[in-house]
Amino acid sequence: MTPGLDAIRDCLDGSQPGVMATCAPDGTPNVAYLSQVEYIDPAHLALSFQFFNKTRQNILANPQARLLLMHPKTAAMYRLTLRYLRTESEGPLFERMRAKLAGIASHTGMSGVFQLKGSDVYRVEAIEPVPGQPLPVTPPRRNLLEATRAVALRLADAADLDAALEALLTGLRQDFDIHHAMVLLLDGGGQKLFTVASCGYGESGIGSEIAVGDGVIGVAARERTPIRIAHMTGEYAYGQAVREAMAHGALADRLETAIPLPGLPESRSQLAVPIVGGGRLSGVLYVESPQDLRFGYDDEDALVALGAQLGMAICALRADASGDLPPAEPIPPPDGAPVMIRHHPGTDSVFVGEDYLIKGVAGAILWTLLRDHVEHGRTVFANRELRLDPRIRLPELSDNLEARLILLTRRLAERDACIRIEKAGRGRLRLCVRRPLKLVEMPSERAG
Amino acid sequence: MPADARIDDETAGFIQGAVSIIAATRNAEHRPALVRAQGCRVDPGGAGLTVLVVADQATELLDDIRDNRRVAVVFTRPSTHRSVQVKGEDARIVAASAQDLALAAGYRDAMVAELALIGVPEARVRALLAGVGELVAIAFSPTSAFVQTPGPDAGRVLEMPR
Repeated sequence: MTPGLDAIRDCLDGSQPGVMATCAPDGTPNVAYLSQVEYIDPAHLALSFQFFNKTRQNILANPQARLLLMHPKTAAMYRLTLRYLRTESEGPLFERMRAKLAGIASHTGMSGVFQLKGSDVYRVEAIEPVPGQPLPVTPPRRNLLEATRAVALRLADAADLDAALEALLTGLRQDFDIHHAMVLLLDGGGQKLFTVASCGYGESGIGSEIAVGDGVIGVAARERTPIRIAHMTGEYAYGQAVREAMAHGALADRLETAIPLPGLPESRSQLAVPIVGGGRLSGVLYVESPQDLRFGYDDEDALVALGAQLGMAICALRADASGDLPPAEPIPPPDGAPVMIRHHPGTDSVFVGEDYLIKGVAGAILWTLLRDHVEHGRTVFANRELRLDPRIRLPELSDNLEARLILLTRRLAERDACIRIEKAGRGRLRLCVRRPLKLVEMPSERAG
Repeated sequence: MPADARIDDETAGFIQGAVSIIAATRNAEHRPALVRAQGCRVDPGGAGLTVLVVADQATELLDDIRDNRRVAVVFTRPSTHRSVQVKGEDARIVAASAQDLALAAGYRDAMVAELALIGVPEARVRALLAGVGELVAIAFSPTSAFVQTPGPDAGRVLEMPR
């Protein structure tokens, strides 16, 4: 009984993962190093097609190939018998390999050289251990299945999205030793992701945005596939992508209302996994590290499982928005000098005094709350009424009100604004205002 | 087929240095086989080339050589990715001499030093190149050689002096 490819997939990581032998129609053997081998499932793998070289010509004419792999830690060697099946030039597998190849290329000084033309898919027909004296297997620093269980239980205990996000980030730190992470959720329009929670960065970046399709995070969202990069790469540097988009594009005139995306300046390992539940993409969980080769296949599996659990939790919490009445606790009346709150209707940007606070749907929610507070003295609001409020214009299809409320709550707390949002029982919130407010609706600023 | 082709001195120096060596063959059904080799020597003048393999690791490959004598060998320096592939059509299996055993030992030491440059610990290199059983020599006359360093030049035929 030979092992499945899943048992030896660590051999596929690394910058020179394998050597492949093929045979030309005239019977001439050929042997060449591969730059990338991608695991698909226990019986399939994919190789990067970058150049129309001899290997490529040979497998199109004769699909038989042999691959020699080495375990990166034990030096155990395995010989795989492969059969070429097809080439994919778009879709999740292709995008995953393209992102990873960019990482490998950057690590090996081949950035201008490596460019993925296709993912060649092979069936693994046999795996044969090569006789040798491999080093003993060292135990992993942590049993990741057990760590996954621990974080899954934390997540299962969370009663709302805020608690679920905290449970996840705490679990990543304590059980996975992952100290740089962020959760981004999909905007209602499905075109942007916004940061709703993060850990390990100087600035939390709550509220920062990235377009679907941009960088490791954006590609993971667009393709709904995990993207794992073992070495630092410039091409997929999400921060750079965002900065460039802001400098050149339509965002240039809105620089003052942008929150910078957090990120490690010297990120060397990156992993982005989609958060999917109920058949829908909700966002992306992103982790990174200053170490090379920090995240392996097992980390990827674990985070995909936890991302799926968070996705299901988001679905369930969305469906369960009704709840109890709030406990009636007195709120001290506003005190001190009035604070001017400005609202720009075009973008729903809200400024507290001179400081930009938030924009978009979260800005519209805040403005609605503040108007009802100032005009009618209200302090308690039900999520359900906000969801139906025409002033908020919540996108109907992708109803992420809870995520917007968390974003708004955290942003207010972070800015130490004179306004706070508290929970007031399930499905309700309470607005706490410390200073008198002067609301100013700005004129629409449509240019041209 | 140029019977008098030979490996030039610079290439000979490269393939006899601290380079990873992988040899490949194919059987009658054109199914390839491959194995990691443990050292290489080039005959004076460059018209003959010998690579050393562990017999137990190369059962299929040795059968293929007995069957059709075709061979391809790729040499790669791990720290620079420079690669050269050499092919032959008259490979034969020869018992390894005492000099060959010394060559393999020197090759392992050279690989330990080379791979240390890219951070591979010695124990892992020794494990990769463990001499598990009998070494045999595969000797052949090179008929063609190719540049295989990744990049636009990959696949270029290396001119062989006559």
